[in-house]
Amino acid sequence: MIRSLILTAALLLTYSLSQAFCGFYVAPAGAELTNKSSQVIIVRDGNHTVITMANDYQGSAQDFAMVVPVPEVLGENDIRIVQQRIFGKLNDYTAPRMAEYYDPTPCQTRMYMSRANAKMSAGSSFEDFAEINEEEATDLGVVVEAEYSVGEYDILILSAKESSGLKTWLTQNNYSLPEGASEVLQPYINDGMKFFVVKVNLDNQQRGAFTNLRPLQIQFNSSKFMLPIRLGMANAKSTQDLVVYALTRNGRVETVNYRTTKIPTDRDIPQFIKTKAMFGEFYEALFEKTWEQEGKNSVMLEYAWDISSQQPVKCDPCATAPIYFSEMREAGVWWISPTGGEGYNGNLFVTRLHVRYGREKFPQDLVFMATPNQEHFQGRYVIHNPAGGTFDCEEGKKYLEMLGMRKRRELDELAALTGWSAKTFKWYLGDAADVPEEVIELPQLPGGGETINRPTGKAPQRGKEATAAVEPAPAESETAITTTATAEMTELPIPAGLTNVDLDTSAEDFLAVAKAEASAPAGPGGHWMLLGIALVMFAGGIGYRAYHRKST
Amino acid sequence: MPLWRQVIFALQRDARHFQIFYLSMFLVYGIFFLGWDGHLDRIGLTIGTCLGVQAAFIWRHKRRWTGLKSALISSLGLCLLLKTNGLETIAIAGLLTIASKFFVRIDGKHIFNPVNFGLIVTILLTGDAWVSPGQWGSSAIAVYFMGAAALLVLLKVGRIDTSLAFLLTYLGLEFGRTVLYLGWPVDHWLHMATNGTVLLFTFFMITDPMTTPNARKARVYWSVLVAVLTFVLAHAFHLQSSAPIWALFIISPLTIAFDKLFVQRKYEWAT
Repeated sequence: MIRSLILTAALLLTYSLSQAFCGFYVAPAGAELTNKSSQVIIVRDGNHTVITMANDYQGSAQDFAMVVPVPEVLGENDIRIVQQRIFGKLNDYTAPRMAEYYDPTPCQTRMYMSRANAKMSAGSSFEDFAEINEEEATDLGVVVEAEYSVGEYDILILSAKESSGLKTWLTQNNYSLPEGASEVLQPYINDGMKFFVVKVNLDNQQRGAFTNLRPLQIQFNSSKFMLPIRLGMANAKSTQDLVVYALTRNGRVETVNYRTTKIPTDRDIPQFIKTKAMFGEFYEALFEKTWEQEGKNSVMLEYAWDISSQQPVKCDPCATAPIYFSEMREAGVWWISPTGGEGYNGNLFVTRLHVRYGREKFPQDLVFMATPNQEHFQGRYVIHNPAGGTFDCEEGKKYLEMLGMRKRRELDELAALTGWSAKTFKWYLGDAADVPEEVIELPQLPGGGETINRPTGKAPQRGKEATAAVEPAPAESETAITTTATAEMTELPIPAGLTNVDLDTSAEDFLAVAKAEASAPAGPGGHWMLLGIALVMFAGGIGYRAYHRKST
Repeated sequence: MPLWRQVIFALQRDARHFQIFYLSMFLVYGIFFLGWDGHLDRIGLTIGTCLGVQAAFIWRHKRRWTGLKSALISSLGLCLLLKTNGLETIAIAGLLTIASKFFVRIDGKHIFNPVNFGLIVTILLTGDAWVSPGQWGSSAIAVYFMGAAALLVLLKVGRIDTSLAFLLTYLGLEFGRTVLYLGWPVDHWLHMATNGTVLLFTFFMITDPMTTPNARKARVYWSVLVAVLTFVLAHAFHLQSSAPIWALFIISPLTIAFDKLFVQRKYEWAT
């Protein structure tokens, strides 16, 4: 008996004009699903769609299996295997990022900067599996339409008449369906779709010495642009995370049947957030709070950028190297052409959507539309590193005063974004805690504008993060920060307000307390306001009409 | 009569005052509670273009200046529905919306709902405009229903028949398809039925008395036709919740035929 099953869902409508495919969620049955992040790349232009599914299965080799509903019987050429690293690259390129600025010393003039981004990569591993008994299939109304061997995978394409027959067939063939999943099979069957069943071919896997299960990519033509998430919602109580990288020709992708909302961005956050662990915790808390505030049924936009060949600024700040032609081709973008080297010619727009979904708030599959929207967007959080040097000049005194105000505002911002208690981090204010709370106009600091690319250099000596060297993005990692670019930097003294504080240890020690004291996020109050006004108007209208009738 | 009663009396005489109030409220709600991009320049340009074009036509054709209220309603409708990259696209949409009322006419009645015409033609012509059907989410049913009901009860425009015929037909067809035929749980259907864009359309676009058939019976048949086409477009062409806007555009020219078949006096706004 196969112990686990990875389900992937797809949808096909029965109308002759409509075909649909679907996306998926990948999770072993019975495993904890919370905080797991699946990743999908969707490339679409016209009706042609290429979907790549990252295999984030983590379990023993024998347990792997996957069922993916598809709109039609896919040909062997419609299925291929791609390298896992394309997900790492897209993730690095589009992940919420930290932009770091260095205040110039007020009594001298100099500027430093570095940058980092948060990563949320999925790991992968793999396995194998059992024999399929095709003879039993027909009796159950299940037909094996096609059978392929692609790399380390054995693939079957099934069609079914009844969910009970399909369920029985899958069970007999050692696929264990999670509780509740069989109910959701019926609507897909009624839609006339096929099922793309995947297992690992142990021989091929061992021959190829694959250390991980590689992502599967499929292509098809369908007028519908969607990802079925319903099949993966067997466990009604938990939520799952899905990151969608959409690559289109003309503009941003948004959801049609759910709200697409922007994650809060361009916020100044305290300096102690800049360690790997802290930035990861910060973004997770920010995401959670925003998601709750939006009613837990909104899709979050994390990145949108025009990366067409004629676009001079392909990211700002860039968290990683540009995406190369070969990587785009690997992801399934077919309409760009190479220009020699790794450049490409053609229009291309990348959108990153992050969905945290559960059965209750997401009753429908995700349906997308490609809009002509060219507006750029990124999740960007700014850290200002205080200046060093002496502050005995007039400018220096003003600077310290401004610094205190700024830190207070950064803490307020942190509390507002994450729900963490600002009080816990009061030590961050240092001597500046005595600064009055009135708002003071900040002096314009030189170099405080847009970040720019600079050659890699040495980071300033303050805390662990400041000394971090430039390192390549690991393909598989937990939420982490990698410093990707730094400017020429020198050793700086620590400003007066921070002399007795070790940033890294203090921040992490206090984090647990801050989380415990986190305020509950406020739900959306807008509906009630509108409902109230509408009710008053309604009552007023009835009353007025009654009065009017009486008087005439 | 005391002044406050005179003011209330003047306000309640014209249905358009309430439409302006509700549409403005939706816009404020969208910007402050749903997190839309509330660019004042875009809103200002939309309203400015619509009012400007309307004023020019009123002056040229010596019409009543109260027509500006209709232009304001149209501009608010555009603010709620139309998304563009460029500011010039907004100006084009505003121009098309208002101009359609004066140029696309048969027998003294304009054929297309102005906002509907402006949206569709701008999307088709410029390729720089779109509608975001998901922008309202699906939890605002009570709000819309109450708001719209208040509007309709108050104002005696007499177009609740249009809304109900459309809504019952469309939701009925959707229920048949998703729940009875495909076998999805009811909340799958409910999610669609509470989509804000569909409700806004149902209560504020399709009910326009100037572009619906004059006779009640005709309006009911006409609405059913819009609903059926919406259903077909939504699923056969995957237009999803923007399908009603396209369906209305396609069916609108039939209003002339409906008015010939079912004769009734044309609607006049109170002045």
